[in-house]
Amino acid sequence: MTATAVPPRRPDASTADAVREACRRVAPTWPLDRFIAVNPYWGYVDRDVRSVAAELAALAGVDTFVPRTRRLEQVRRGEITREDLGAALRTAGSALSVDELLAKAEDEPAPPRRTTLVTDVADRSRLRREPQSWGDVVVHQISQHTASYFDRTQSSWSLPREFGLFGTWRRLLATDRGLPMRAGRADFARRVTALPETAPTCIEFVVEKLGVRPEHRAAYFGALLATVRGWAAWCAYRRWQAELAGGSDDHVVELLAIRLAWELLLVEDHGLLDRLPAWRRELEEHADEVRRLRSVHDVDWLLQHAAEIAFQRGLVHGLRSSADRVDAARAPDVQAVFCIDVRSERLRRALEDASLDAVRTRGFAGFFGLPVAHVPIGTEAARPQLPGLLAAAIAVGETCEHASHVAERRRDALARGRLWSRFKGSASSVFTFVESLGLLDGVALLRTSLATSLGRAARPARADLAGLRAQDASRLRPSWDAAVPEVTMQRRVELAAGVLRSMGLVRDFARLVLLVGHGSTSANNPHAAGLDCGACGGGTGEVNARLLAALLEDPAVRTGLAARGVEIPATTHFVAALHDTTTDDVRLFDTDELPASHADDLRRLEAWLAAAGDATRAERAASLGLGELRARPNALAGALRRRAADWAQVRPEWGLAGNAAFVVAPRARTRHMDLGGRVFLHDYDWRTDDGFATLELILTAPMVVTNWINLQYYASTVDNRRFGSGNKVLHNVVGGNIGVFEGNGGDLRIGLALQSLHDGREWRHEPLRLGVFVEAPAAAIDDVIERHEVVRRLVDNGWLHLFRIDDDGASHVRCPGGGWREAERALRD
Amino acid sequence: MPHDLSDPAALRALLAHAVPAVLALGALLAPLPALRVEAVWRAACATVRLALVAAVGSAVAAVAEPGGGGAAASARPVVLVLVALVGWVLARYSRTYLEGEPGQHRFVRWLLGALAGASLVVATDDLLVLALAWIATSLALQNLLVFYRDRPNAQMAAHKKFLASRLADVCVLTAVALLYSTFGTRSVGELAELAAASHALAPAAQVAVTLVAVAVLLKSAQLPVHGWLIQVMEAPTPVSALLHAGVINLGGFVLIRLGELVSATPAAQVLLVVVGGLTAVIAGLVTTTRISVKVALAWSTCAQMGFMAMQCGLGLYEMALLHLVAHSLYKAHAFLAAGGTVQRSVVGAMSPQAPTRSTTSRVLVALASLAAVFVATHLAGVPVLERPALAAMSVVVALAVTPFLGGAADGAGRLARWSGPAIAFAVVVLYFALHHVLEAWLGTAPSRVPTPTDTALAAFVAGAFVLLFAVQTYVASRGSERPARLLYAWVYGGLFLDERFTRLTLRVWPVRISSEGSSIPNLRHDTTR
Repeated sequence: MTATAVPPRRPDASTADAVREACRRVAPTWPLDRFIAVNPYWGYVDRDVRSVAAELAALAGVDTFVPRTRRLEQVRRGEITREDLGAALRTAGSALSVDELLAKAEDEPAPPRRTTLVTDVADRSRLRREPQSWGDVVVHQISQHTASYFDRTQSSWSLPREFGLFGTWRRLLATDRGLPMRAGRADFARRVTALPETAPTCIEFVVEKLGVRPEHRAAYFGALLATVRGWAAWCAYRRWQAELAGGSDDHVVELLAIRLAWELLLVEDHGLLDRLPAWRRELEEHADEVRRLRSVHDVDWLLQHAAEIAFQRGLVHGLRSSADRVDAARAPDVQAVFCIDVRSERLRRALEDASLDAVRTRGFAGFFGLPVAHVPIGTEAARPQLPGLLAAAIAVGETCEHASHVAERRRDALARGRLWSRFKGSASSVFTFVESLGLLDGVALLRTSLATSLGRAARPARADLAGLRAQDASRLRPSWDAAVPEVTMQRRVELAAGVLRSMGLVRDFARLVLLVGHGSTSANNPHAAGLDCGACGGGTGEVNARLLAALLEDPAVRTGLAARGVEIPATTHFVAALHDTTTDDVRLFDTDELPASHADDLRRLEAWLAAAGDATRAERAASLGLGELRARPNALAGALRRRAADWAQVRPEWGLAGNAAFVVAPRARTRHMDLGGRVFLHDYDWRTDDGFATLELILTAPMVVTNWINLQYYASTVDNRRFGSGNKVLHNVVGGNIGVFEGNGGDLRIGLALQSLHDGREWRHEPLRLGVFVEAPAAAIDDVIERHEVVRRLVDNGWLHLFRIDDDGASHVRCPGGGWREAERALRD
Repeated sequence: MPHDLSDPAALRALLAHAVPAVLALGALLAPLPALRVEAVWRAACATVRLALVAAVGSAVAAVAEPGGGGAAASARPVVLVLVALVGWVLARYSRTYLEGEPGQHRFVRWLLGALAGASLVVATDDLLVLALAWIATSLALQNLLVFYRDRPNAQMAAHKKFLASRLADVCVLTAVALLYSTFGTRSVGELAELAAASHALAPAAQVAVTLVAVAVLLKSAQLPVHGWLIQVMEAPTPVSALLHAGVINLGGFVLIRLGELVSATPAAQVLLVVVGGLTAVIAGLVTTTRISVKVALAWSTCAQMGFMAMQCGLGLYEMALLHLVAHSLYKAHAFLAAGGTVQRSVVGAMSPQAPTRSTTSRVLVALASLAAVFVATHLAGVPVLERPALAAMSVVVALAVTPFLGGAADGAGRLARWSGPAIAFAVVVLYFALHHVLEAWLGTAPSRVPTPTDTALAAFVAGAFVLLFAVQTYVASRGSERPARLLYAWVYGGLFLDERFTRLTLRVWPVRISSEGSSIPNLRHDTTR
């Protein structure tokens, strides 16, 4: 390459900045056993959603919309009205008429021209004897290497890590004899060895060699990372965790260096030097393509917004007509606090209906504000039980009578289990295993296969109970006394007071207060944690609910609370519960500790819960293909429990599919509405919120979590190939818990499987940006937006719609950049 | 076929042939295009249920009245029940698993078709029918492997498999012709009796048996033609389970059926032991470096098939049969339950870490185990000293149970410390007890004294497993040193055998595979899905 081929370098845009820019755009993905929802656009929320959609399309061909034909179909069916379209047009300040918009929507746009990589140039001249595209070869090589670098679970003989991700790659690639390089192996090995030894120097070296102008580097790096999106997201997760712990992690930079180095290796191996000038010109077209796409997307955004308006219209209308059905003066028999999860909405409504509002329900983040990790007895495996945005401060263990004996027994059982898996998994013993005990797997095969047909539905085994005897498991409970670091009484009182304040539950306690976490039941499901409680780090809410109940039942804590002005009557008792979202069974914990005086209360509550479970199951039956059992509660319950235990079931439940709104208001505002399990509900009364501290908390934490969930479902639906994990029947778990491949290999897959979104006939999730409805004064909300960049970005850049509910139930929509408009007028044509 | 059902042999044959007949009929009729998917599955499940009943019936008849037809004739009803059972489990599983997938009619047709072929291979006594059924099974399976036609890797793997399988077909058909021209019969039972009666096989027959061995090695994905087996995870999980539990082991079954002939053909024995043994050891090691569960299972199958072929070469047909059956059940379960990997990894993370043991202690434990197993088996009357093949197996078993013997050194709890050796003891007893019982039942005890070839092959096997153990011990203690890293690179790359074979394949028969293929329903064609 001659010096003139390299364009003059601008001093202001350093390569390191471009690397930082590209790497910080990558959103993390959590491991499968903690599979919480992530907004895959999270790295871009500092920019307007429209420009990001165009940018991603130009960078990597990312799709942000459902096909226009589908929106038009919705218009034809009346699900989107002309009024909705008109409102969308007006909000956008568009000069188009509704008919003009519909006419334009008839044309499906041409697919975007994504950034050309050197790999693409190589693929344009693929030889006849090269069956696979170079793009696939490169991604496969990187993916396999990265997997073996991070895996410490599936493989028992693992890649030594001491040279780092990039360093081991460079060393191993030089010894690789399997790659179909054109110039031969020795030549290739020489070129690999000639690469600089560290990731940053290699990046600098390669971009200089390729002659990429500094101003094009960030986009180029972004396009490269998009080809290994899954592993980039995994590296981003490592970085996220390191930063939560106060450290840092640069694996994503090493991954970029590897992907970039491949570009140079292909140039050298294929002799593509003379094609580089033309390729660089293509790189320069990126900005033009982004501009072009922005204008192409105008129609799509109008249709998208119209669909969102169509949903929000009903909610706005309903909130306004909220009649005070609940007699506020009548004290409830039971207060039940549920997670904000959309699946709670159905059960809450059913429970209120079944009890004729003798049960008053509230919504709160399902980890109940406890910053804990859970350490199962006899183990050292701490599992975070809080949202991914936070780091656990306390590791809580379990206790029971003879705890040390139980712990030792479990350690023994687990050690035996480990020996077994070694016997089954080691190269030198697996043959003997098969010929001595392999036949026993036939028993397992039959038992599992028949599990769904046997009379009593076998519940799938739970990992957290592994190695415990049933009678020990039932006696164990998470305990504040088994916590590290030790939790002093003062700290316990502070925790309890803080949680009760955020819940808005500081007076008028009922005789029973139910704290309901949630979890799911499914068998043989790599993404099972994705159906559990996201606020509990992808675990069930059991530990948190029981810990909070234990805290609030502690007389010493109550004394401390009283001193802080929170009087809990002696007749009030807190009961922890777990809502199984797959079967809609509710399990109560530690009820044997309730005094006899509350036996009747408990009995009544159990009857209401049973009735509510029946009603909720009946409501869900049709969506699970069990519509014909709707009127037969027992048969339906049985069918759902069997389904949950079925190892072949790829759709145990619909999770949070359909989620579309988040209402932050007292329950009375929504009590009269059937929200169809599509709305997150957080109880909040601004009148009792001192200094709006709780409002600030809700908008900065639960709202962000709901945004993550909402956009995970959105992205997995509109572009499952890039932001979803594809077909579940092909899933192949990588590294024990790291993630899945779809099939044999390829990149690590992130996001949701098709089966979580689509029933084989139609999509079960309607991709709509979240409508957040907050009942609070405008000034208070504006103030939080003003002070918190993250909230400001989400609201002002169009990642969600923010509404304010005023005292008479009227909604006002927040205008981009500030100001509120009356929603009913804004939505009117 | 005589239809006098009072004749137990006729009843047995009728019931056995009813299994492929029912399945074939189901394959033709169940997926009628006019039927709705639910009805297709109802018909498919009824078919496999009926087939299972017939298979169990034939097994009961066989137990009630054992017939002749070669030493390993009793293997037939056992394997028939196995195939039917696997088919029954798979049909039930797939019915739920594939809900909403396009192409379920096609899936049912080829699933039942492959099962019909596999069960006919087992049920028939006619060598030509066996060969044709074997080919048909492979073709039916081919259709399942490319169930998602647009997935590029599925096409590539299927392409390689097609080549290997057709080569195997040529071998098998040639072998059938040679055997028929030599012995004048196509009956496997008669062939076995003729072979047992004769002192030495005619050269043509030896060539035929060697060709069968080659075909088995090709069809059971032995190195270096294993690549297709590893790369067929591009089809739904039950297809993998079918392949690994119901189809790939047919090669082993054929070897067991032709046991008398194989034992009389040194070339075939050497081929089976050397290729099978090396595959078992190498693929076994490669398995431990895999990073995804299904690919690890596939490499493990490759190794297991090698071990089974090796045992056939050693004349241990009863152990090969046990291996075939147990491996099928184990692998079917492992594939179908592969989604539970995450949960198992959580349990693994909760389990106490196994302490690293020194090389010396590992070697000492292994030596002690070897000594103990030899002394114990000898005292128990197992002819380990007279039969080199059994001695080789004793080495394998003794090295296998060493993880259980390090309990005291592991510092595990009181219970684990004592249960380890107890488990090891139980495993050894069970192993040789199963061998004893099966050998007596199948009548596969060797009728001749070991030849020098037998001894050499047994020594080879023992040596290979000692080497495997040594490599593992070395890696466990010196994993980060340079030689170990280099070894890792080679083993991780599967010795790069498949890539070489692929390049060769493509030179012989090029294929062009479109990129960016995917099974994901395109949102753009949403309404048609």
